[in-house]
Amino acid sequence: MSRSDTLAVNWVNTKFKEFVAWWDERLPVRSLWEQHMTGYPAPKNFNVWYFFGSLLLLVLVIQLVTGIFLAIHYQPNPNLAYWSVLRGIMRDSRWGWLIRNFHIVGGSAFFVLIYLHMFRGIMYGSYKKPRELLWLVGVAIYLVLAGEAFLGYLLPWGQMSYWGSTAVMNFATAFPIIGKAIATWLRGSFVVGLPTLNRFFVFHVFLLPLFLLALVLIHIIALHQVGSNNPDGVEIHKNENSSGWPRDGIPFHPYYTVKDTFAVGAFLLIFSFFVFYHPGGWGLIIDKLNFIPANGLHTPADIHPLWFFLPYYAALRGIPNKFYGVLAFVFIFVMFAALPWLDRNPVKSMRYRSFLYKINLLALPVSFLWLGVIAYGSATEPNMVSGLHVTEMFYAVFWLLPYFNKPRSRGVTVAWLLILESFVWLIDYWLYYTHAHGWALMLQTDWIPAAYLILILLPAIIWPRLARDAPRLPERLTAGGLTH
Amino acid sequence: MRGVHRIDFSRVTVGLLALFAFALTSPPVFAGQGTTEPPLKHMTVNLHDKAALRQGAVYFAHQCLACHSLQGVRFAELARPLGLTKKQMQESINTTGIRWFDTITSPMPVALIKKFLHAPAPDLTVISKIRGVDWLYTYLTSFYVDPTRFTGANNVVFYNTAMPDVFADLQGLQAPVKKMGYRYSQRLKIAVGVRPLTKGTMTPVQFDRMAKDIVTFLYYVGYPHEQESHKIGLWVLGWLAGLTVLAYILYKLYWRRVIRPEGGRWWSYWKH
Repeated sequence: MSRSDTLAVNWVNTKFKEFVAWWDERLPVRSLWEQHMTGYPAPKNFNVWYFFGSLLLLVLVIQLVTGIFLAIHYQPNPNLAYWSVLRGIMRDSRWGWLIRNFHIVGGSAFFVLIYLHMFRGIMYGSYKKPRELLWLVGVAIYLVLAGEAFLGYLLPWGQMSYWGSTAVMNFATAFPIIGKAIATWLRGSFVVGLPTLNRFFVFHVFLLPLFLLALVLIHIIALHQVGSNNPDGVEIHKNENSSGWPRDGIPFHPYYTVKDTFAVGAFLLIFSFFVFYHPGGWGLIIDKLNFIPANGLHTPADIHPLWFFLPYYAALRGIPNKFYGVLAFVFIFVMFAALPWLDRNPVKSMRYRSFLYKINLLALPVSFLWLGVIAYGSATEPNMVSGLHVTEMFYAVFWLLPYFNKPRSRGVTVAWLLILESFVWLIDYWLYYTHAHGWALMLQTDWIPAAYLILILLPAIIWPRLARDAPRLPERLTAGGLTH
Repeated sequence: MRGVHRIDFSRVTVGLLALFAFALTSPPVFAGQGTTEPPLKHMTVNLHDKAALRQGAVYFAHQCLACHSLQGVRFAELARPLGLTKKQMQESINTTGIRWFDTITSPMPVALIKKFLHAPAPDLTVISKIRGVDWLYTYLTSFYVDPTRFTGANNVVFYNTAMPDVFADLQGLQAPVKKMGYRYSQRLKIAVGVRPLTKGTMTPVQFDRMAKDIVTFLYYVGYPHEQESHKIGLWVLGWLAGLTVLAYILYKLYWRRVIRPEGGRWWSYWKH
């Protein structure tokens, strides 16, 4: 026995190995760890946009843990719900206020992060072959998360909870013939009431989190099946060494775990600032009206969703017909899901896409935020009609994607411009024809989608090279784009 | 053209942001006039001012509790923040015989108040969250005489409020100061301020102090953990900042051997 074997450190090390071996015989702990952490090759050139996935996991854990404690103290009964939150949780239970602040700020953080995460995927073409399914699972997660947020918003039983849920439940009545029956079935009652609150509570704390966890697991499994994309859009597995390790990859653990730890710190700094100093987020995270107890006999002048649904709300409100309004905002989800088939350009990363494509890409968050700002305003006329036209601009961003699939001739570009313009004008004419909005109002903001299409396609007609992608793509990873 | 398009993204961004800003500012040009909002009087809440908080609680018990409840607050909870003993609390604040651990509930039956004023008196636990401090302060100080109302009073910031002018004896009566404005898009004279008509039992300075104290108290009960939250928050943020710096150093130490900018840009640790 050598001297080193007697050292306590070595003894602990041996025992730990034995411990792991014991487990490994019975459960594939080590192989899972090796497959998904130390043995998972991640591209070396991840930038800050790649933090949001792991931060979303962190927020999911925060929401689950704080949610359990809130559910313990919450009463899903219209007579008790409001005060069980404002007195039971916020005052009577120790640290209840802090746990609730974490949960409400966490809800908003979830959406900030998922929007950034989605935009990352769109920027670097992470939905393209072979990652279509990964993207679709992600869209499903986004949908379930939206459902989670909607269901949870009813629970405090404030005015906005009540009337927001009433409005959304009424979407079901947009279905022809059986709509009303569906709405009643969903609510369990003719108005939002005890049965609605009970089922929303169960779905919020049990059903949807279950879906969410399952989908997140599938998302990660699907990611590790196809490998991570990267800011260059290079498939690192196409260049492997003799032992099958991609030359441009590094083990996820410890390199990205240590990097993500820093991201977690930075994120929690911002997160805690809100939790401790501005849990209401200046009326954005908690709506002021939601401090008033729900009252089925008193409809607020303005019913708003929380900030993360505002763009959809603008789309809904732009068309004063319930059926088409619901269709208009469901269409946004459909377009997100259809992205892999809209954008079939083989070039993944926006770094090597054309100038006009980049402008189109930038218009995506710009129009989305713009819609949000419009929907934040009151439901009066200039806001409704401008919501319609910015929604059209938002659609146009997606409709333009197939145009950029391959180099187009001038003639084809002119055709695209004419077809898309007439499409937009047809929608407007139809809305005018159905007396949805008057001409005078329509003309105020009609120029937005029309001008946007011209902004993208007219330069492509005059200077076709602005719509050309980079002539060559990198074969290996770069640090910040090809230079020449 | 060879290579990649060189784009000055900053210029493009500035251009689009300018378009965005223009679009944001243009709707008000077309917007209807709606309702003119009378200017709010500003006040700053100082929760460290225990005397103001205590006075506010006393005023609340004497002036507001007759109709308004604080369902979210237990009477016993107030002793510590107000810095009063149980005996002092019972003598100075507990005017309606609330049990020590009960919530602060008005003795006035809701049905009765609805009969008197055609509206229930709202619970004031989170009123500061709903209305904001400035609004509350302005509301309390801007009742004016309005013979068309059944209470004989109206309010500058809450047109046709059902609440009677309970401060009439303390503050004295007030007359509205009217200006041309809009109410529901109709152009007419609306009240934007008040001027005194009669003298009250309190001087204007005393009354102003009282209104501010009540608002301070209401602000406190709206979120009683605010001071605690700010205090803990400082430690949490400090600790997280330290952690983040350490994590950054650790990240740089780990990645030092990964990023080797040979030829300026390529990372070449995994050479086999």
